Amino acid sequence: MPSVDKAIEEITHVRTDLEAALDPAEPDGVYRDSRECAALALLSADTKLLLSPPTPRPKKG
Amino acid sequence: MEQSGTSALLQGAVQDLATDVVSALRGGDHVRMSDTATADDPEGSFALAAVRVLGADLLLPHVLFPTPPAPGALAAFRNTVEAFPPRADAAPTVRWSHWAMRRTLVRFDSAPAGPPGADDLTEPDAAWLDAATWQVLTHQLAVLAPLAVPGDDCAVTRAARRRPVDVARGFVRAVRRRDWQQAAGAGRWLTLLEAVPDTLGLEAGLDFVELMGGNDPRVALQVQAARVMRAAGALV
Repeated sequence: MPSVDKAIEEITHVRTDLEAALDPAEPDGVYRDSRECAALALLSADTKLLLSPPTPRPKKG
Repeated sequence: MEQSGTSALLQGAVQDLATDVVSALRGGDHVRMSDTATADDPEGSFALAAVRVLGADLLLPHVLFPTPPAPGALAAFRNTVEAFPPRADAAPTVRWSHWAMRRTLVRFDSAPAGPPGADDLTEPDAAWLDAATWQVLTHQLAVLAPLAVPGDDCAVTRAARRRPVDVARGFVRAVRRRDWQQAAGAGRWLTLLEAVPDTLGLEAGLDFVELMGGNDPRVALQVQAARVMRAAGALV
């Protein structure tokens, strides 16, 4: 009975995937890019200057 | 890493459930579930497996805002606990996540026969956490984030309380690795721990984790749980 076999196979797959989901290995790390650094700077009141334009300087002459 | 079709479907189902829980945490609504799923057919087995992955967090809104869960959700939760007992050689996280579900079931289930195993809530062994490096400790605690609930004590909670600085270091490491799920889970634990260094900036850190990883409902769930617990003054 193929449908029963298929059902058993699907349930077995679900149980296998479940074991993996409940005891996951730590994924490889991916380190920050500049977009995230900018977002972090936006969140921190102390680092607003990082995103400010340069201070205007008086023109010569 | 390539996922099997079943694995991707399971993850999708877990994310759908997590979305419901986040919505309930934000609005105080009920988590809705059908109570007809059983482990005897593929579709039912799949639905219960998704509940098993989310674990005790399925009913977290009803723990944090003390309200009874909807009967359908409670029945699905009970069916899941019965359908997926840990195997004899199961990893500690599998044993503990099942234990967390049973503890939650005991909290809510008033069925005449009582929940399965209500008479035996013996804790699994947690010695592996004491021997773990701070990196492994944080990873394992993040996997077991459903145990981070105010007022509920267990060996995993006690292990976390003994090492707040290690968990804080693990939180920073997870952020730097862009492992938002681990960072969110560690952040949730940190809301419950004393002696977390002020220099960590946990609140801003959680905001950042949500900003970067909040599209994943499982990340959003942990961040929202941490916020609700902090708002309730959950610090142990």
